[in-house]
This record gives sequence, C-alpha cells and structure tokens, in this order.
Amino acid sequence: MNYYVLPGIGIYGGIKVGFQFAQLLTEAGVPIAVATPGSLAPSWFRCAQPVADRQQIVASVGKSDTLIFSLPHDYPELKATGSRLIFHCQGTDPLINPILHDRDVTVLTCWEQAKNYAMIVARRDAIDVGISISDVFFHDGSPKDEQCAAFMPRRGAAIAQCAMKHVRSLRFLPIDGSSEDICANSLKRSGFFLGTAVAEGFGLPALEAMAAGCVVVSVPVVGGMEYLRHGHTACVAEPKELPAALAEISQQGAGLRRAALRDRGAAMASRYRIAIQRGKLRAAMEAGLKDALSWI
Amino acid sequence: MDLSVIIPSWGLTALLRSCVLHLDQALARTQLGKACIVVVDNGSAIPYRPEDLAPPHVRIVRLDLRHSFSAACNRGARDVPAARYLFLNNDVFLHPNALADMLGIFADHRIGICGTRLVLPDDMIQHCGVRFDAGERGPYHQDHGQRSARVSRATTFPQAVTGAAMMIDHAAFATLNGFDEAFPFGYEDVDLCLRARQLGIRIACGQRWDSLHLESTSNRKPDRHKASRDLFFQRWRGRYSIDGDESG
Repeated sequence: MNYYVLPGIGIYGGIKVGFQFAQLLTEAGVPIAVATPGSLAPSWFRCAQPVADRQQIVASVGKSDTLIFSLPHDYPELKATGSRLIFHCQGTDPLINPILHDRDVTVLTCWEQAKNYAMIVARRDAIDVGISISDVFFHDGSPKDEQCAAFMPRRGAAIAQCAMKHVRSLRFLPIDGSSEDICANSLKRSGFFLGTAVAEGFGLPALEAMAAGCVVVSVPVVGGMEYLRHGHTACVAEPKELPAALAEISQQGAGLRRAALRDRGAAMASRYRIAIQRGKLRAAMEAGLKDALSWI
Repeated sequence: MDLSVIIPSWGLTALLRSCVLHLDQALARTQLGKACIVVVDNGSAIPYRPEDLAPPHVRIVRLDLRHSFSAACNRGARDVPAARYLFLNNDVFLHPNALADMLGIFADHRIGICGTRLVLPDDMIQHCGVRFDAGERGPYHQDHGQRSARVSRATTFPQAVTGAAMMIDHAAFATLNGFDEAFPFGYEDVDLCLRARQLGIRIACGQRWDSLHLESTSNRKPDRHKASRDLFFQRWRGRYSIDGDESG
C-alpha cells in the first residue's frame, strides 16, 4: 500500500499539493491513502482522497509499503519504518539535503528550481511530477472589481500595510483562513493580487491569482520564478519597492500594460492545469516512479 | 461459488418475489459459472417458503429475530461464501443488463466494490454514487432527484456506493470484517466504503443501466436513520475528504 504522510491538515500549500498529488495517483490506478494525525481530512478544499491515521500507519507499515512525504522533519521517523520512501520535494531548504543524499529515497520534484537544486546538491536527476492549480481558480468571466487588490495577510502583512498607505485609489481585500472556493471567488472578483510572502517556496497563490485573471504584483519567491516573470506575467519587486510597483501598474494610463500582464498571466497559469500535471505523471511513472510505488 | 446475492428481507413477500424475478433475469445475462440467491429472512412474522418465491431455487437463511441490515448481510455472506457478493435490497428491481455491467467493471482488478445506478419510479435518480459535503450534510446521493437521462452514463469512481445494490469482492469483504454491525439501520454501507478506501480498495459505480429502487419500502419512519447517522458522525466527522456540493 502507498501512503502520503502529512503532518496536519491546516491551510498550507504543501497540504493541498500533497492531497492533489495523491488524488492524481489514485486516478492513475495507484492504491493510496493520505496519512494524517488522527486520520483528519481537510475541509478547506475539494478532494476525494481517503485518509488514514498517521500514527497507526507509521507503526504498521513495512518493506512492501511506500511512504511519500514532503516535510524534511518527517524523514527520520519514516526512514525507521523500513518502507520504501518517496520524497515529494516542494522546497529547497538545506534541511532536505540529507534526503537528497539518500539513494534509497526516490526524489520527485514539483518545479524546475527544485529539480536543479537536487542536481546541484546531490547530483540527483529527480523525477519531475509538476504542480497544478485547482480548476476552480480559472476565471470564468465573472465581473471584476478593477479597484480591488486581494492579498493574504498571513505572510507579509507589514508589506501589505505599506501598500495600503501608498496606494489610496485601491481597496484591499484580505484573504485569510478561507476555503479554496471562497478564496477563488475573491480572486476572480479582484483586479489585482498583491503577493507579500517573502521567501515563499513556490508561491501557489500568485499563480492561482494569474489563473483568476488578476494582475499580480509580487515580491520575488524562491521557487516560483519560472512563472513569475517581471514585466511579462507579473510586476516583481523587492518588498520595499512593492507599494510603488502597485501604484505604477494601477494608475489610469497603465490599462494596456495591465491587460497584457493579465493575458500572459492567464496563459502562464494554463500551463499548470491539472490535465497537464496528469500528463507529467504518466511520464514520471515511466521514468521510475512506477517502480518506487507499492502495487499490493 | 462465483457470486452470492444476499437479500436481507423482512415480510413484503410479493415485493421480494418481484425483486428475485428481476435478479434472475439479470443473472441469466451474465457469464457466471455458479451463482446463488440467498434470502436472509430477517425475522419475518410468517417465514418465507421457497414456493413463495419464483424461481424456487432460492436459498433461504432464516433468522427468528430481526437483526440489523449489517448483521443480516454478514450472516448471508458467512453462510454462502463466494468469490463475490452482491448485497441487494428487496425493493431493488435490477435492470436485466445491470449485473453484467457491474461484473464488467470488476474486470479491472483494482476495483473492489461496485454499485449501480438506481432510479425512482419516475426515472429520477435515487443513487449514482455518494458524495461528501462539509458540515452537517455529510454523505449524500449525487444527482439525487435529477432526471436520469440528463446525467452522464460514464462509470464513476465515487467515495462510496449504496448498500441497496453493492457488489464486493470476497477478499475485500473478509479483510474489512464485513459490515459493521454496530450500525442499526443505514450508513453501514458508507462506513464500509470509507474503510475500504483506506486500504486502497477502489470503488466504482456503473451508470449504463437504470435499475428501479422503491426506496425505503420496508421502513418509512422519518427517524429511521437517526441512530446510525449519529454513530456515523461520531466515528467519521472530519475524517473524510470533502467532494463539496454539486457545483464543483
């Protein structure tokens, strides 16, 4: 049996990415459940993945089972089980280096920068499995409030505060602790998305905002620069310059540039459709993932 | 034995006879080598006699006291073991092709449980898979009350299917220790499916054929599911993934 082992079910990108990946594996015919503490299931996004109790699973699995994980802190505990391990790499924190050096662990990466990191650190040719945005985020033509800038205060609230003081012509819509449906609706109705999370791994919200047809104004992120391209799909600025960048792109004369950013952002987001990740998964299976999974 | 069809039943002899007749037709259209129809007489006041049921080759397992649906199903499976079981309510009249369709879906070895589309007498969907919503709604029948002709005929892979017409692999049923007999009436099927999926057992629901379900003919009490529903939520609240409402 295969288990995707997670540390919790809170509102974090890594949790959703884990469940979505497990769901894609299920669709591909892989027997898999997600192991969470107390077998709790998240209710903040739509999913149909079975959940099992993490403690029980970790205590009972053996050599014929496969455990998938993404948090480096889980590595020692899971390694001790003797099960096959698959590391679903969603970041490039040096904490993951021992995992990358462990040749018994199959390494999957979600984006290019992580794949490059695995090569540089451990000369590992990681298997690319991609990452995707839920279909619910893609703009459906619902009317937008062009004067509204959505943001997520959980990370970088101070940067957002500066932007609010600096750009008086916009209204700011905080998105915090919301379900995926509510978050998607908020983004679809907003003209802008202000990305304030410094040192974000991939920055899924900014990509979701592109899908929702927002003009994205964001601080640089660690792994998501493959989609966050300054002047092409987004306005990327250092935290101190972010308010000015937002003021500049939201001014009256910048309509054409906004439209271009929106169009190219939406085109970029469409490269991260679930259907495309499904195709990547098929290729990943042939590239070795199939052999690392349990088929019992 | 290739297939045991377990029909727990209490009274309603005429209804049961019609159910068995439809089932017999459906069995005739399959390639099954050996199949058995097992009626679990769940404490009927007047015990069933083989001659009451046409065809008469039905095996009757008599329980003198009325037990839960779960217990009656488990007893039937225990008494007539087979490679697969079909649990069938006595108020379900299978479409002649429904059984062959379910067996065809089972050709995929990853499938361990299979349901089939059930409709009400007015062609509205009664069951075509179970979805899960957040909050108090919990598990619900997908597309319930929709005109069947308007809903896709492609096989689906829901989180659960109804026990009113549920086929399950013997190995899966044995591993799960059957239906949980703690459920007095209802939700034992959803519980079984959730437990099955935790073990990697895949669930499918055939949609090609409409079988008739005269829902709740044997028990129309409005609070008939309450005790089971309470138990279900006590056990599973927060522990199943949310498909959400039918908008997405």
